[in-house]
Amino acid sequence: MEPLISMGVLALIGAAATIAGASEDLESDVGSQSNANSQVQLAPQMGYVHRIYNKAIAGEPVSNGLMCTVGSTGALVLIQHFGFSPLFALVIGALIAAMVHGSYSVTAIMGREASQARFKQPIYLDLIRSHTPVIMAFAFLTTFSVEVVSYLLVTSLAHPFPFVLLSFLWGVVVGSVGSATGDVHLGAERQFQQQPFGEGLNASQSGNIVRKAESGLRNGIDNLWFCSKFGGPMTGVSFGMVVFLGTWIILVFDPAKSVAYGWLSNLLGLLIVTVLCIWNWHIEKETREKYGPFKEDKGEEVSA
Amino acid sequence: MIDLVGLIAPNILWIIAIIIGGTLISISVHFISVGGAPAAMAQATGIGTGTVMLAAGAGIAGIIAAGAVMDLNQNLGVVLGAGGVGAMVMLAATMIVATWIYAYGVGVMPVSAKVKYDPITKYRQDLYVSQGTEGHGIPTVAFVSSLLGGLLGGLGAALAYYALMKVGTYAYSGVIPLDVHNLDLVAVVATFTIGFFFINSVIPSYNIVGTIEGFHDPKFKRWPKAAVASFLASIPLGIVAVIAVGALAFVGGL
Repeated sequence: MEPLISMGVLALIGAAATIAGASEDLESDVGSQSNANSQVQLAPQMGYVHRIYNKAIAGEPVSNGLMCTVGSTGALVLIQHFGFSPLFALVIGALIAAMVHGSYSVTAIMGREASQARFKQPIYLDLIRSHTPVIMAFAFLTTFSVEVVSYLLVTSLAHPFPFVLLSFLWGVVVGSVGSATGDVHLGAERQFQQQPFGEGLNASQSGNIVRKAESGLRNGIDNLWFCSKFGGPMTGVSFGMVVFLGTWIILVFDPAKSVAYGWLSNLLGLLIVTVLCIWNWHIEKETREKYGPFKEDKGEEVSA
Repeated sequence: MIDLVGLIAPNILWIIAIIIGGTLISISVHFISVGGAPAAMAQATGIGTGTVMLAAGAGIAGIIAAGAVMDLNQNLGVVLGAGGVGAMVMLAATMIVATWIYAYGVGVMPVSAKVKYDPITKYRQDLYVSQGTEGHGIPTVAFVSSLLGGLLGGLGAALAYYALMKVGTYAYSGVIPLDVHNLDLVAVVATFTIGFFFINSVIPSYNIVGTIEGFHDPKFKRWPKAAVASFLASIPLGIVAVIAVGALAFVGGL
């Protein structure tokens, strides 16, 4: 394929990956999946009964891997055996995955809340009715976007992996990225807004999540509203970077041309990694100077 | 009938490569700075997700890159490099965004609670750890350590992938060799490599028990135990994988 057209396809892949990352994180924020869920799960045991959707079907990577595999398998069957147009088939595949995910979400919250009956944690049926469609909508977006990424990689950029396998792999990676980035915004900030800003969570405050909202009791959609301002979009940027940069270095220096090009593409990847490392160090330096230490250095005071 | 001796004998070198790959993956997991669930609450230093899930995410990004390059160029060095770099890029992109969220969304600076001074930047650490936490964010030493982990893990995964592809494309006597672009072969080899990666990243998680900051963490010293365990586990795995993939070549694909 013409390099310029490849770049255009890659830009589309990057955009789809960005949407996948953002929707993946927001889906886990509404349903409080992943690591931050440990606090939602712990809260009733500490006496803090809450009205937050509590589902952790599995670790985010596995859950998203399943979703994307179900979706892309459905889509592939429709394309290959029923002659559907790919775009139509990908949408139906994502719809099937969203329904499967929705059913898992309902069984997860029912099971989790029922097991906490001894801590007086109620099962709010209206919460399940209002949140599950939102969770399914985000699951649909994530699955569809990952399917688009995989389908374009296979059909337009000639990636050797089969479509369903590639969807599964990107599903695991998007879960891994979302779990490592956006969930920090939910877990460390949104769930503990009554704690002072600019500190990690004191271990003694574990389980003491915010349970009241501006109006009424806080629920998963309130958390979604907050996380969609920063955590969600940033997760999108992260997954977009993973997919885009990882593929871009192979497109710029095509290893098919020669071994030297292969090494150049690897060196370009190393250069990107080095720049990101220096950026991280710069943020470390900047935040240390701006935020300052939490404690005074008593040793130095004595010597002064 | 598949000739097992004729299948294993020419692939001894690749079985050794798979065993080395498994051991590399096992060692690599110790380098990756993971804080597990506490890190998601800015309660521990490292990336806020589970050990196996993060290592698998990085390793899979490496396998996707190595697979793409193997299809274009079968040079061992280039494929291994692509695997290592693919995993590093995934980890670097994840960590830089996590740092943005810690710094600007939570308002904490990256700091380690395991050392008084960062071995790379020489910055003082203990004064910057907020009360009741085991550090937060991803300081430079943890970032560099994770990148090394990504490199080793990606190398290990790409080595296993490359070895199994070579097993699948070998010209066995009386058999038409499979092409490197054969979709069935690629699918089986990639699936085997991912399973292999998961197994070898679960073994070190018994050493890590939830959180590890990187090579400066005292838990890092336990790596030889996991490396030996993975080495031993990779021997039967390597033999089974070679038989399975080689048999696929014998029957000419699925």
